[in-house]
Amino acid sequence: MKAVRSQLEFLGRHDIECVISGGVAGTLHGSAIPTTALDVCYSRTTANLLRLAAALQSVNARLRNAPADLPFLLDAETLRKGLNFTFVTDVGDLDLLGEVRGIGSYDAAVEGASSFQVLGHEFKVIALDKLILAKRAAGRAKDLIAVAELEAILGGKAHSDEQ
Amino acid sequence: MQVDEDYFHNPPPGSAAARAVEFGIDLTLTLENLRLTPEERILKLDDHLAGIAWLKANARLIPPSEATAHESS
Repeated sequence: MKAVRSQLEFLGRHDIECVISGGVAGTLHGSAIPTTALDVCYSRTTANLLRLAAALQSVNARLRNAPADLPFLLDAETLRKGLNFTFVTDVGDLDLLGEVRGIGSYDAAVEGASSFQVLGHEFKVIALDKLILAKRAAGRAKDLIAVAELEAILGGKAHSDEQ
Repeated sequence: MQVDEDYFHNPPPGSAAARAVEFGIDLTLTLENLRLTPEERILKLDDHLAGIAWLKANARLIPPSEATAHESS
């Protein structure tokens, strides 16, 4: 199984303008808490929506937990009319967020983002302090556990910078 | 990233690391991840997910009537 690897390669290959958030962002920042779905906040420019729709079609994306007979046309216009989508795809589960809870739209999420070189691609990853805010805003028990660890990682960075 | 490992092994009182330990976070696992490159962290996550998927596909719950009894001596 190469779920997250496949998803990242997919995003990189199609040059999707996005910022990684959620548990995978935590992993990249150093968290040891496992996660399954990849959450990305995507830019809603027309060019990116067109790229994203074509990319999603290429991996047979369909809505997760939706009735099989629910009419759904996957194109840029549908993405523009919606905001947050949860897809199951040939490369694994992919959560596309128009807004990150507690942070806002792509522009807010990408501001101050870290850049990581992974699998031959450069990815924007939501800044650690913003990830903590987003996890706090989500507020589920698992998010609060993540907050405790992420704050320790942030504290460790600050401590190293002081030395 | 250069990690000050002592911060995680011996969290200063009142620090975020100390609060995390108090909360129940095993920072030795966090430290293991911090020693890796970002790409290695992703590959490790996938290995973990593969292990869980393998378990789900291969583990079978044995009914109590079929389970081997372990007698203590």
